[in-house]
Amino acid sequence: MMDKTRSAPARVKERLVTTTDQNPTRTDSPRDPWGQLLENVGRHQDRAAYQALFEHFGPQIKYYAMANGLASHADELVQEVFVSIWRRSCLYDWRKAAASTWIFTIARNQRIDMLRKMRRTRVERSVATDDLWQIPGEYEDEPVTSLHRLMSEKRVRQSLSQLPEEQLTVIAKVYMENKSHQAVADELEIPLGTVKSRVRLALNKLKVILQDQDS
Amino acid sequence: MSQHHPDSLTLMEYSAGNLSEPLALCVRLHLDQCPYCRSRVDMLDSLGAVLMEHQPRVSLPEGSFEAILARLDQTPPASAPPPRPAPLQALLGRDLNQLPWKRQFGDISVLDITDRFPDQPDRVVLQKLAAGGKAPAHTHRGNETTLVLQGAFADQNGVFRQWDFVALDQHHEHTPVAVGCEDCITLSVLSAPVRLTGRFTRLLNPFIR
Repeated sequence: MMDKTRSAPARVKERLVTTTDQNPTRTDSPRDPWGQLLENVGRHQDRAAYQALFEHFGPQIKYYAMANGLASHADELVQEVFVSIWRRSCLYDWRKAAASTWIFTIARNQRIDMLRKMRRTRVERSVATDDLWQIPGEYEDEPVTSLHRLMSEKRVRQSLSQLPEEQLTVIAKVYMENKSHQAVADELEIPLGTVKSRVRLALNKLKVILQDQDS
Repeated sequence: MSQHHPDSLTLMEYSAGNLSEPLALCVRLHLDQCPYCRSRVDMLDSLGAVLMEHQPRVSLPEGSFEAILARLDQTPPASAPPPRPAPLQALLGRDLNQLPWKRQFGDISVLDITDRFPDQPDRVVLQKLAAGGKAPAHTHRGNETTLVLQGAFADQNGVFRQWDFVALDQHHEHTPVAVGCEDCITLSVLSAPVRLTGRFTRLLNPFIR
């Protein structure tokens, strides 16, 4: 992510104050810095980029595993996720998903896969986890994606801080503790309808709901 | 493009990875054919990523990264995964019309595939309504989620075509009719048995598990 500054060290020294303008890590670009690192891993098996991704996302994924009842397998899940990232990085396309979104879906799928393997009965699993849960962009032949897909993460990030605590609590439990809406209702001792309306309000504010037919 | 979509709450449970396997399959099959819902799920996946970022971080034990590198050295370098069969083909292995259908009554044939989804409570069935055929009027004791795999059916709530996603609960009574010249084949996930409401077919209730 320091490519530009490395390739022109002399100029950077002279113009230190203005380098942020050219810095590829700037956050208003749809091409986020993590996406660039991920592409370097995919194209060049760049281990330094891979390590930077590990240091940033590894601790997040570990917490995700622990919040999901995989506390005793948290380090194992992090390892599985990163091996999967390495193997799939050649399929990553920054135009189709932000890197953190792509990594979240890989972490989610590895968690599901690990739980499926633990629960596995005599019956063979007939459908692979990745065939049930989609990794964005991987098996689509869509032309270059519309900008709203790229900007969705930025918009979500900006508006999340404005959500009321009670709405944030509900969606965080759904995503981070993998509780169904019903389970969240049971835990917070509030009616299911209240949970659903908080989720809808939150999604409306986050502009995630484009249009619901039945609401 | 499909006209009947999963609601945002269902897509959120999908994105969070909380749906049961058969429900996830219904959503996935719909997503594969519906760019509108794919873009909704993209946003929900972004929400998951941002929420993950907002949580506390837990440090990893010394040597974790080196352990991963050691695994990479044992595995082939990154390359495209082999193409997989579509989810439905992976599950059923052959043409929908060639499955070992069991004639239930009248125009309906069924194939129960619940045993392909262990460790979950719902019943999973493929249903085939012969072209032009009519199913008996029924309501549901629980929730029924249906994805149209082939053909189309119409009922009191509208016309449902291939890849449409239909969620019904105990408040919906319907009498589906297969429309068009093809048999209508659906994948349904039932949380409780259906209840027939027609005057004569009510007698069949004990037989429809």
